[in-house]
Amino acid sequence: MKIIVVGAGQVGSTIVEALHGEHDLTVIDTVRERLEPLAYRYDIVTIEANGASRRAIQQAGTSGADLFIACTSRDEVNLVACSFARAEAPRATIVIRTSNVEYIDLWREGRLDVDFAVSSELETARAVARSIGMPSARQTDVFADGQVEIVEFEIPAGADPAVVGRRLREARIPEDSRVLAQIRGSSLTLPGGDDTIAEGDRIVVIGSPSAARTWGALLAPGQGRVEDVVVFGGGQVGAAIARTLSEQGIGVRLIEPRLDRAREVAEQLPECRVYNATGIDADFIERERIGRAQAAVFAIREDAMNHYAATLARVHGVRFTIAVVHDTISTEVYELSGVDVTVNPRGVTAEEIVRFAHDPRTQQVAMLEGNRYEVLDITTQPTSEYVGLRFRDMPIRGALIGAIVRDGKALFPHSDEVLQAGDRVIVFTERSRVPDVEKVL
Amino acid sequence: MSPERAAARIGGRARVGIDLAGALGLTGTMLAYLSLSSLIPTAVAIGYGEPFWPFLAAGAITGGIGLGLTRLGRRSPGSIGFREGYLVVSLTWLLAAVYAGLPYLLSDERQLSQPMDAFFEGMSGFTTTGATVVTDVDALDRSILLWRQLSQWLGGMGIIVLALAVLPRLRIGGRQMFESELPGPEVNQLAERIRDTARRLWMLYIALTLVLIAALLFVGAVGLDDRLTPFDAIGNALSTMPLGGFATDNRSLEPFAPVTQWIVAAFMALAGVNFALLYRTFVRRDPTAIRRDEEARLYGALLLLGSIVVFAELVHADLFSGGEAVRQAFFQTTSLMTGTGFAITDYVSWPTLSVMAMIGLMFIGASAGSPTGSVKIVRHLLVARILRRELRQTIHPELVMPIRLNGQAVEERTLRAVLAFVVLYIGIFIVGAALLAIDARVSNVSLGITDAVAASAGTLGNVGPGLGFAGPMGSYEPFSDFSKLVMALLMWVGRLEVLPVLVLLTRGYWRV
Repeated sequence: MKIIVVGAGQVGSTIVEALHGEHDLTVIDTVRERLEPLAYRYDIVTIEANGASRRAIQQAGTSGADLFIACTSRDEVNLVACSFARAEAPRATIVIRTSNVEYIDLWREGRLDVDFAVSSELETARAVARSIGMPSARQTDVFADGQVEIVEFEIPAGADPAVVGRRLREARIPEDSRVLAQIRGSSLTLPGGDDTIAEGDRIVVIGSPSAARTWGALLAPGQGRVEDVVVFGGGQVGAAIARTLSEQGIGVRLIEPRLDRAREVAEQLPECRVYNATGIDADFIERERIGRAQAAVFAIREDAMNHYAATLARVHGVRFTIAVVHDTISTEVYELSGVDVTVNPRGVTAEEIVRFAHDPRTQQVAMLEGNRYEVLDITTQPTSEYVGLRFRDMPIRGALIGAIVRDGKALFPHSDEVLQAGDRVIVFTERSRVPDVEKVL
Repeated sequence: MSPERAAARIGGRARVGIDLAGALGLTGTMLAYLSLSSLIPTAVAIGYGEPFWPFLAAGAITGGIGLGLTRLGRRSPGSIGFREGYLVVSLTWLLAAVYAGLPYLLSDERQLSQPMDAFFEGMSGFTTTGATVVTDVDALDRSILLWRQLSQWLGGMGIIVLALAVLPRLRIGGRQMFESELPGPEVNQLAERIRDTARRLWMLYIALTLVLIAALLFVGAVGLDDRLTPFDAIGNALSTMPLGGFATDNRSLEPFAPVTQWIVAAFMALAGVNFALLYRTFVRRDPTAIRRDEEARLYGALLLLGSIVVFAELVHADLFSGGEAVRQAFFQTTSLMTGTGFAITDYVSWPTLSVMAMIGLMFIGASAGSPTGSVKIVRHLLVARILRRELRQTIHPELVMPIRLNGQAVEERTLRAVLAFVVLYIGIFIVGAALLAIDARVSNVSLGITDAVAASAGTLGNVGPGLGFAGPMGSYEPFSDFSKLVMALLMWVGRLEVLPVLVLLTRGYWRV
C-alpha cells in the first residue's frame, strides 16, 4: 500500500514507525531536521516542502496513493492538504488530524470530505476518561460500537481473591469476559486454564462494558464511582477532558490561570465549576479542598509546571493522578514522581490513525504492549477455512478470538460455539501474525 | 501657522462633543412624521361633528417645528452616531408628549385646559402610563377620547421603532436608538436589518390589535355585552395592546360584561410577552419559542402565583367567590403586573396582602421587548443570578461563573448595566416619592405616604393608577402643577428606561 504522510512531528513519526515495514511511505514536512532522522532509520521517501502546496502533493505521487494522512499540528495545513489530495486521488482513503472538535462533528455529519478524522484533544480526553472510569485500567479500547471493550489492567495489592491468586479455570471470571493475555515482566503469554494471575501482573481482558466494570471493581476494591475530578489547565486538551468527563456524569472542577480563557471554558461547559487560579497555589488548593478530589488530571501546557502541580496535588492528598504528557521524554519523570497514569496526546492520535492503515476490512486496531500485539476487528469471509469450526477445534496460531459480533450483537463465545460466515471477529494476535490472521479469516 | 493661531483653532473647535444640529434635525424629522397622526382624530372629529381644528392645528404646529428642525439639521456637517442617538430619543419623546397635549390645550375642554394638565395627559398617553388628570372621562369629546387612546397605541411599540420602520432613510444605523427605546437589556433581532426588525414588530402589533378589535366588536355586536359600543371596542383595544390603561369610561372596564373583561385580560397577558417571541410563535409558527424562554416561563409563573395569592385572599375575605373571584384576581393581577392599569373594581379597598401584592407586581413588570413599563422580569432574573453568584464567590473567590440567560452567557457589561438600571430605578423612585410627599405637604394636598409611594411607582413604572384619590377609579387632578411635572418626568424617564435620559445629565456627554 502506498501511504503519504504530511507532517513528521511526533504523530507523523509514530505513524511512520508503525507502518514502515509493510507499506511504501512518503513523508512531507517543511523542516529538514524532522525528516532526516526518519530517513536514516526507515526505508521511506521524504520530501522537504509545505504540505499545503499543490506541487508537494503532486511530487509525492498522491495520485497513486492508497492512503493519505495529514497529521501536522496545524488544522489549516491539514485541511488544505486533504482537499488537494482529494482532487489528486479521488479513490484514496484520506485521514485528517485536527485539534478542533468542530471539524470532527462536521466529518460525522458528512460535510467534510475525508474518510477519517482524528482529534488529539478528543482522543486524549477519551483516554483520560477511560482511566478515570477504571482506575486500575491502563488502557481501554472499544470495539463494535461500544459493545466490546478490551482493557489492560494492572493487578494491584489487595485485589479480590476470587480472580487473583488462583488458577484461571477455578477463578470466578465475570460473565461475558475472558482473559486474553497475561504480561509478567517483559513476557506476554496467552494464558490457559492452569495459569494463575498474581499481584504485579498485567492482564488484557476482553468483555462487555459491564463485565469490564466488574473487573475494575474486582481489581480495585473500595474504589467506587468517581464523582469529583479536578482538571488542571483549561486549554484545548483540558477543556476536552472536562467535557468528556462531565458527559459521563462525573462532577468536574477545572483550574485555569488565564481569566479570559477561564471564562470561555466556563461559558462552554455549564456543568463544570471553573476556577481562575494557577493550580500551584497551596493556599488555594487547601481552601478549595482539592485534596479531597478522587482524581486529578494535569493538562497544563508546560510539562514542568504540570509536573509541579501534580506533585503538589499528591502532597495535598489526591490519590489518583493522571498527567497529559506533551514531551515523550517527560513520561519517565512523571512516573518516577508517582503519577499514576500518563497520556501522550500525540501517541493516542497516532494510534487512532494507524488503525486505519491496516486491511480495509479491519475496522479498528488497538496497539498493545508497544506495538507487539494487536487487536483486530475482522469480518469473516464465507471462504474462510475456519467457518463451521467450533472454537475449541481451531488451531491456535498465536491468535485468540475474544468476541464475535453476529447480527449487530456482541457474543463472548464458549468453546462449543461455531464460527459463521459474516461474523465480525475480534482477534487478539501477535503483530507478526496479523497478515496470517487476516488471510485465514 | 503660528503656535498661537494653531492653539486658537484647536480651542475654538472642541467645545461641544456632539453634533447638536444633526441631532435636532433628526428629532425634527421624527416629529414631522409623527404629526401626521393628528389626521386620524381630525377625521373622527369630523365624523362626530365635533371641532376638528385643535387636531389640525396641533399637527400643523408640530409638523412646522419638525420641518424647521429638519432644515437646521441639513447644516450639520458630520454624520449622526451613537452619541447623538440618546439626545434624539430623549428629545423626541419629550416633544411627542407636548404634541399629544396640544389638542387638549387648544380644544375648549375645561378638564384639560391647564398647560401642565395637558402635558401630563400627553406624556401619560405616549408613555402608555394611563394616569389621567381627567375626572370625568364620559364628558370628553369622542375625538379627544380617541386621541388619548391613539397616543397610547402609538407609544406602545415605540415611536422611534415606528419611525425606523416607515421613514424612507435615516442618516443613522438606528440600532442604538432602537435599543434605547425598546424595553429590556438586549434587543432580540428578528431580521438582519434593524429596519426589517422594526417593521415586523409593528406589523405583528397591528395584527394583534386588529384581532382584539374584531373580538371586541363581535362581543358587542352579538349582544354578549350590551354596554360595549364599537367606539368602546376600538378605544379600549387601542389601550390594551400597548398596555396603556386609558379607558373610555369613568369606571375603567368595570361596566363591561365578564366576557369582555376576560378577552382584555387575555390580551394584556399576551402583550406582556416579548414581542420577538410572539413573532416566532405566531409568524414563524414555532410553538416552543415561548416555552423555551426563561423570562417567558417566569412571567407565566409569576402571573399565576400573583393571581392565586390575590384569589385566595379575596375568597378568604368573602369579597368575591367562585368564577367572580378568579376573574377579579386574574384581571387585576395582569393589569398591574403588565403595567396596564385597567380596573374592574376599586381594588384599593381590598385587604392589605392583595394591595401589597399589587404594589409589588408594579415593580416586577412584564417581559422585556413588550410595551410594559417598570423593571421587567428579565432584569429581576439577572439580578437574582448576580446575587447568587456573589454569595457563591464569597466562599469560592476564584470561581468563574458566567451568568446565563436561556443557556447563553450574558456579557459582564450588560450585567453592570442591569445592576445600574435597577439601582437608578429604585433611587429615582425614592426621590420621586419624596418630592411628591413634600410637595403635597407644601401645597396642602391630602396625600398619605403610601399614596405618594404608589404615585411614584405607578408613574415611573408606566402603570398608571396609584392609591388614594389617584386610585384606579380616581384621577391625578388634585396634585399640584409641580407634582404633575415631577410625575410626567418620571413617566418619561421610566419609558426610556432611565439610562438614555440620565446620560444627558452627565458633563461627559456634551463635551468632546
